[in-house]
Order: sequence, then C-alpha cells, then structure tokens
Amino acid sequence: MENTWILVMILLSSFFTGMIIFFLGEERHGARTILNMLGAVIKLVLIVFLGQELLAGRTAEARMLLLPGIELLLWADTLSMVFIILSSVLWLLTTLFAVGYLEESPNRSRFFGFFSLCVSATMGIAMAGNLFTFLIFYEMLTLSTYPLVIHRGTDEALRGGRTYLIYTLSGGAVLLVATAWLYVMAGPVTFTVGGALWHIAADNMNILRFLFFLFIAGLGVKAAMFPLHAWLPAAMVAPAPVSALLHAVAVVKAGAFGIVRVVHDVFGAQLATDLGMMQFLLIAAAVTVIYGSLRALTQDDLKKRLAFSTVSQVSYIIMGIAIFGPLGMVGGVVHLVHQGIMKITLFFCAGNFAETLGIYKVSELDGVGKRMPWTMAAFTIGALGMIGLPPMAGFITKWYLGIGALDGGAGWVVVILMASTLLNAAYFLPIIYRGWFKLQRQPWHKEHHIGRFETDWMLLVPPVVTAGFTVAAGIFASLPISPLHLVQIIAQLEYLPGG
Amino acid sequence: MPVNFDTLLLIAIPLLPLLLAGLFLFPGLRKAAVFLSPAAAVPGLAAGIFSLQTEVHLPGVLLGTRLGLDLTGQSFLMFTALLWFLSSVFSRSYMKKYSGLNRFTFYFLLAMSGNFGVLVSMDLLSFYMFFALMSFASYVLVIHQREAFSLRAGKIYIILVMVGEVLLFAGFVLVFAATGTIYIGEIAWGEPPTLLMALILVGFSIKAGALPLHFWLPLAHPAAPVPASAVLSGAMIKVGLFGWIRFLPLGVVAFPELGTLVLGAGLAASFYGALMGVGQTNPKTVLAYSSISQMGLMTIGIGTGLAAPEFWPAALTAIILYALHHSLAKGALFLGVGMVDGAPSGRVRRLVGLGMIFPALALAGAPLTSGAVSKAALSAALPGLPSPWPTWLDLLLPLIAVGTTLLMARFLFLILRSDVKKAYLPPGMWAPWGILLLGVLLITWALPAAVDFTRYTLDLYAMWLALWPVGLGILVASSVGLLSMRKILPIRPSIPPGDIVVPLESLIGLLTQRRTAPKPTPADHGERSPGITERVQPYLFKLEGLFTDFAIAGTLFLLTGLVLFLVLAAA
Repeated sequence: MENTWILVMILLSSFFTGMIIFFLGEERHGARTILNMLGAVIKLVLIVFLGQELLAGRTAEARMLLLPGIELLLWADTLSMVFIILSSVLWLLTTLFAVGYLEESPNRSRFFGFFSLCVSATMGIAMAGNLFTFLIFYEMLTLSTYPLVIHRGTDEALRGGRTYLIYTLSGGAVLLVATAWLYVMAGPVTFTVGGALWHIAADNMNILRFLFFLFIAGLGVKAAMFPLHAWLPAAMVAPAPVSALLHAVAVVKAGAFGIVRVVHDVFGAQLATDLGMMQFLLIAAAVTVIYGSLRALTQDDLKKRLAFSTVSQVSYIIMGIAIFGPLGMVGGVVHLVHQGIMKITLFFCAGNFAETLGIYKVSELDGVGKRMPWTMAAFTIGALGMIGLPPMAGFITKWYLGIGALDGGAGWVVVILMASTLLNAAYFLPIIYRGWFKLQRQPWHKEHHIGRFETDWMLLVPPVVTAGFTVAAGIFASLPISPLHLVQIIAQLEYLPGG
Repeated sequence: MPVNFDTLLLIAIPLLPLLLAGLFLFPGLRKAAVFLSPAAAVPGLAAGIFSLQTEVHLPGVLLGTRLGLDLTGQSFLMFTALLWFLSSVFSRSYMKKYSGLNRFTFYFLLAMSGNFGVLVSMDLLSFYMFFALMSFASYVLVIHQREAFSLRAGKIYIILVMVGEVLLFAGFVLVFAATGTIYIGEIAWGEPPTLLMALILVGFSIKAGALPLHFWLPLAHPAAPVPASAVLSGAMIKVGLFGWIRFLPLGVVAFPELGTLVLGAGLAASFYGALMGVGQTNPKTVLAYSSISQMGLMTIGIGTGLAAPEFWPAALTAIILYALHHSLAKGALFLGVGMVDGAPSGRVRRLVGLGMIFPALALAGAPLTSGAVSKAALSAALPGLPSPWPTWLDLLLPLIAVGTTLLMARFLFLILRSDVKKAYLPPGMWAPWGILLLGVLLITWALPAAVDFTRYTLDLYAMWLALWPVGLGILVASSVGLLSMRKILPIRPSIPPGDIVVPLESLIGLLTQRRTAPKPTPADHGERSPGITERVQPYLFKLEGLFTDFAIAGTLFLLTGLVLFLVLAAA
C-alpha cells in the first residue's frame, strides 16, 4: 500500500475543518473564513501531490478490514482524480462565494461545518474503491447536505428538505439492497476496469439484469433521472452556494459518478451491453434530457429553470456512459467536469442577482447587464456552454456524444442532442436577451452596493473564474492538462486495454 | 511549426478583429477601438490579395485546430475583407447619428472575426466555432435599432440561426463519421450518405438565403443599420455558399438527382426573389430579395457541380467570380442607401443615384460589367448538365436578368422618391463608397482567373446577349412606371417583407395559443409533497428537529468522524 496518508489526509482536510468550525463561536467570522480557506488550499496541495505520485507511476491505496469480507477501501485512479480535482477546485471557489453570500446571516457555523462535511463525503465517494465504501460515503453525503438545504429554516425550506430526504434516503435504501444482494452473490465487489462480475455472469443473467436496474434506480435518484428527479427543483430553496455545490459537484454528481462506476467498474460496458441494459439506460437518459428541458422552458423562477436544466444536462453524462464505445464514454465522463463548471457559474450568477439586486425571476432580469456586466457576461458564457456552442466546454461534450453515438450505432442520440440544443437555446437565450438587450423597467427590488465592483469581490470572483474555466476547457480541450485529456485516458483503459 | 511573418499574418486574420473587440472591455480605450476598427480587416485584405502559402497547426486548441488559406478561401477572403474594411470605414461616420456606436462596433468586429475565421478554418470544429460567432454577433447588428420591426426580424433570424446550428452539428458529426477526420484537407469522400448531404445542404441554405428558409433575409438585412446590411448581404450570406463548397462532395462523384434538385431550387429562388422583390416598398427589402435571387444563380453552380463533377472546376470559377461581383455590387448599393439618407440636397442625392446606376446595371448583367463577366463564366459551366437542362437554362437565365433589371428599377425608383433629409455626407462615407464603386467597375478586369470571360464579353454577340434582357427590363419598368404615374394602371405593390413568414407566424401563434398549461405529472408530486409524505410527516418533523438542532447533529457527525478516523488510522 502506497501513499495511504495522502488519501486519508485528503479526506480529513475538509472533515477536520468542518469539525472545528462546528465548535467555533458564531461570531468568529475571521477565524472561520481563514480555516475554511486553509482547509480548501491544503486539500488542493495534497491533490497536486497525489497527482504527481500517480503520474510517476505509483499507486495510492488505503485499506481497512471492518468485518470479515467487508473492507473499507480508498484509492485513486484516473476517474477518481477527475472527480477529486473538480470537487476540490469548485469547493474552494464556492467557499469564497458562500462567505460573501452569507455575510450577516445567522447560523453560519452550522452552515460551514456541514459544508465541509459535504465535501469530505464527496471526496470519499470519489476515492471509494469498492461498492461498500462508496455506499457509506454516499449516505454520509445525503445526511450532510440535508442541513444545508433547510438552512434558511422557513416552512418552504423544510418542505423542500423533506422531499429531498425522502427521495435520497429511499434511493440509498435501494442501493443498499442492491449492494447487499450482489455481495451475497459475488462476494465483495472491488471496482475493476472492465467489470468485476464476469465470474458469475453466465448463470445469473436475469438476476444481474434486475440488479443493474436496482443500481440505476438507486443512483438515479441523486442523478435526478426522470422520474426520480422531483427532489431537485424542490431543493432549490437552499441558499445559492448550496445549490451551486449540489448541482455542480456534490449530490447530483455523486449519482452520476456512481452510475459511471457501476456501469464501467462493476458490470463493465461489455457485460452491461450483453445484458441489454445499456439500451435501457440510454433511453432513460434520453427521456430525461428532453423532459428536463421541456420543464425548464416554463419556469420563471431563475433557480428553478436552472434546476430543470440540471436534470437535463446530468443525463448527458449518463447518455455518454450508455453509448457503447470509447468516444461516447469520453463525452459522458468529460461532461462530469464540463457540466460542473458551467452550472456552478450559472448558480453563482443567479446568487449574485438575488443577493445584489433582489432578483429571483427571469422576468425581472431586464437590463441587468448594464448594472452587473461581469456577472451577466459569466452567465452568458455558462448559458452558451449549456446550449453547446463552441468554444465553450459544452460543445466538446456534445461533439463527443455525437460522434460516439454514431460510432456506437445509436444514431438517434444525435437527434436527441439536436432537440436538446434547441430547447436549451429556447430557455437560455431569452435570459441573455433580457439581460443585455432589454432596458431596465423598474427599480431593482433591493439593491445593495457592496464593495467597489458591481458586487462584493467574493461574489464576483468565483463566477468569473468558473466562466474562464468554461471557455478554457473548450478552447484548450486538447492540451494535456485539460479535463478532456484525462477522460480520454480513462476511456482508453476501459475500451482498449493495453492500447 | 516555424513562426514567421506568414503564420502570424494567418493567425491575425481572425484574431485581430477579436483583439480590437477586446479593447471595448476598457472604457478608456473605446474611442480608440472605434477609430481603429477598419484596421481589423487589414490582415485579411492583405492575405486575400497576396496569397499565403502556409498552414498553421494549433494542436492544443479545440480538438487540434488548423488554419490555412487555399485558393477558394483566398478568393472569398479577398472580397469579404475588402467589403468589411470599407463598411467599417463607412460605419465610423454613418453610425454617429445612431446611439450605441460602441456597441455596434464591438459586435461588428466579432462578426468580422467570425466571417474571416470561417474562411481560414481548415478543420470542422473551428469552422463551426467561427460560423457560430458570426451568426450570433450579427444578431445584435440586426436588432441594433431596437424598433419593433428589428426585434421581430432578430427573433426570426435567431430561431433560424439555431436551426442551422443543429443541422450543421449533425452534418459535421456525420462528416466525421463518414471520413474519420476533422481536417478539411484530409477529407476523402467515398460514398457519402444522402443524409449527410441533405444536412449540409439545408444547414447552409439558411445562411445562403435559399428557398424555403430564405424568409429571415428580407427582414434582417433591411433591419440592420446600413453598414451591417452591406456585410450581411455582401459577405456573410456567401458563407453559406462557402460551406457548401467546403463540405459537399463536389467534383468527385455524380449525383444527378440531387444535383438537379439543387439546381432547380436555385432557379426557383432566382425567380421567386425577383417576383417577391418587385412588390416591396422599402428599398433595402428590394435589395434583400435581389440577394435571394442572385444567390439562387450561385446555387445553380453548386447544382452543376453535383450533377456534373467534371464541370466542377468551371462551376467553381463561376461561383467565385459571381460571389465576388455580387458582394461588391450589393455592398455598393446598400451603402448607397446610407448615402441617399445622408444627402444634404436634392442635387447630391441625384449624384448618388447616378452612381448607383452602375452597380445596379452590373447586377443585371449589362454588357461589359462584372455581372456580364460572371454570367459568362456561369454559362461556360452549364453544358455539362444532363440533356434538357442546358437548353432550358439558356432560355431561363436571360429571364432572370430581366427580373433583376426590374428589381433594380424598382429599387432606384423607391430610393429617389424618398424625402431629402438634409443631413450631411462626410468624406468618411464618400471615400469607402467611391472605392467600392471603383471596385465594381474594375476588379473583374484585373483578375487573371476572369481573363477568358472578360475577353468573351467584348464580343459583339455576347454584348447583344447581355444587352437585350436589360433593355427589356428597362422597357417594362419604365412603361409600368409611366402607366401607374398616369393612374392608368392602379398598382400598389404590397407583398409583406419575408413573404411566407407572415402566414407562418400566424400559424405558430395559433398553435401556441391553444397550448394549455402543462398538467402536473405524477413524478412531480414531490414538489408539492402530497401522498406518501403525509403519512410519514410526524416522524419526519421529529427527524428534522433532530437535524436542525445543530448540537445533536454536530455531535453525531463528530462521532462518525472519529470512528472513521480511528478506522483509517488503524489501517
């Protein structure tokens, strides 16, 4: 076992931060901020170090036998790294944003404490090396995000939080059943490139089909797949930084990441195809893509519109996974990152409009570009990326999904992509139009003048940076440090071992 | 990749307009950026005139970008850059009377970058990127005046842009699937699927203003301010044509059916544009319809290339000459509308009108004009078509020239009828317009590729062939004008701009009005929380209370955390 301490430290850097913050007084604003930022930076440094170790050809692994046959296993493969890097970078930015956003509001200790725990859980999910470990952190994520969702404490927040809990806990229960069942059949399942179930596949095709279905149903809740998506728009009552994290990194992504793991590292793409379940997954994802966008069309609440857009966009990831072949997989997994940076930009911006001008509705955005040009510019970049226009990151995704679909013999997916592009344009372009080209109709609801820029710098920097990522991930898609490059390595391992 | 002057120049072609647009981010530099904006077209102009024998490979950009300038690209770049250059000089003076000069120039530069970028892109992805940049930036040019008509035009335009984007996306994905490469230079057509060709044809037809997706053009081109109309109608619609040239398997295999279909569509557009155009009351709309009609003629060239591959080189030459000729002539006419608007007196206005007769005659194809040369080139490519077509086209092409003459007569009539607004015409408008007129006059005579055809137009018989349709057109136009002036013919032409868009809009209006509010599906009940939620509510409230109580929750997590840590530490 190599590099055990790095993995443990990555997990604990946010965990301890959270623990200390819980017991820090509510008024210790400065200390809390420093602690938060320190935790995030330390984690980043550790990750850079881990990356160097992996590049040098060493592995990273931490094992612990809990019960006979049940092992807690953390490791870092390329797929883990993609998720770890995404989460830790966006965590840093979201923390900065949250500090600015929650200025003067109550219960900040509780908020930041759970915020850190939530990131620890995400790290655990990313580094989980077997189903059991994955499940533990997956549940931990549910519990640590709940207090964030209901943070405001209003009736609406409690209602939204309840919906969230019901959905995710039931999803977790289904996942637990599936995991336990598989354990009984196949013993402990360690994630293995190409699948870990070949030894039992021949005799258990039908049971495996059912299990695959159970896994997808369990994970599909967090991934907000139709018809299990309804918690996501309800959870919109959470403060903007939480929504940002929920949609871009933590909860929704955990579901999608879980599906990647189950399809590729538990069943394996070949076995899943042999079972006929890839087609099922592909259709379910395609339905979700269209359905989410159709619902987004009619939402006037900006965050709700973004939420339904997430429902749609996360299923791009799943579509990519469900298309057999390396190109589709690249499109799916790279969207894990691309959707993250684009959607977090949009939520940061929505938060900025709400916090600075008191705007929550699309119909109130007229002329906002003149008042907040940088925020609106960031929003525009994120939205154009969602539509999938080059040079934004979303286009790279769409391109790979398109060529992957033709390569994998699922040409109809291109039609889905076309329809989804048009729908995305139909609900994002009007926002851009209002923001830039319409004149302000009424005074802003409650305008704050914070700082010397259009809003507080802590609120302005995160969206501008993530918008920069969105453009950079698209323009420099072929550089060795791009998300695309990492993902291509993963796909090569899955589909062309040794190649 | 050796860095030398040529590679830098190549990269500067699309990049310099972008950089100049970037200056607008700094409020202090905006004035300077407006002043410098014509310079953005200079690299493109230089590369268009003096060819560039170089290719730039940028492996890190997109999926590996290649920029380069082949002969087709260079030819298109030449007239495109010239028109952009002159229009941006023009706009610096012209746009002073409108508000938002800064905003206009910013998006003008972005659209310029997109237009140049498309011409130098040698891979699918950067082509698509620049195409999108051009399309979206010109949306803002269309709606610049913020009037009801420009907003409506913009809306219809942007919808068609999006439709074009998705069709081309699918088309490009299919190109990659069929050829296995993203590099234009490496595309080797085997048997391209029909679907691919259909997507490319329809996808670019929107930009090219081909039937039946032409209707945005007579709305958008007149709605934009004059300098933008000039580049929209002169340069940007040519990108549709350029896209066809780039991505159709031209000159490889014969596609007789598809070729004749395209040819027929082009022919139809030529007549349809003329027919709809003479019924218009806005001079700029007449010009837009004339563009539809002229693009139809260039589409005939594409159809010829598809149907008769061995005649593709001749057709390509014809298309390039025609595009060049049309670009300059149409640009001169659109800028001329701005000149007439600004004319300080009736005398100056008549002078401008006199100047406009020349590009108008050129478009109609009068003898010795660039139009006659281009038409001669087009006729040279037609004999390769399957049997009835050459004879039919010999018969029909002069009729199109008659139609164009009528359009031009209508245009000149409308423009000279408008009121004198007593504005003023600065040299900043005279100079680019004058240069453009000179360009229309001389450029085809200076081109080595056009030598055969210019010589041909000197022939007396050829002159007669070019002359009679124009003469007939003038005769018809003047007699109709005379009759209606004497109130003998009560003609009040009133075809709504955009023709079929009007019934289309009311149809869509009808459909959307009928739509009721979407019914809640069972899946969404979670948002409203009835059903199962009610039964477990009491427990949940307790649970919530537990979690909301931060001390308990915190301790709970501390415990789990400790356990976890111990477990891991023990490992």
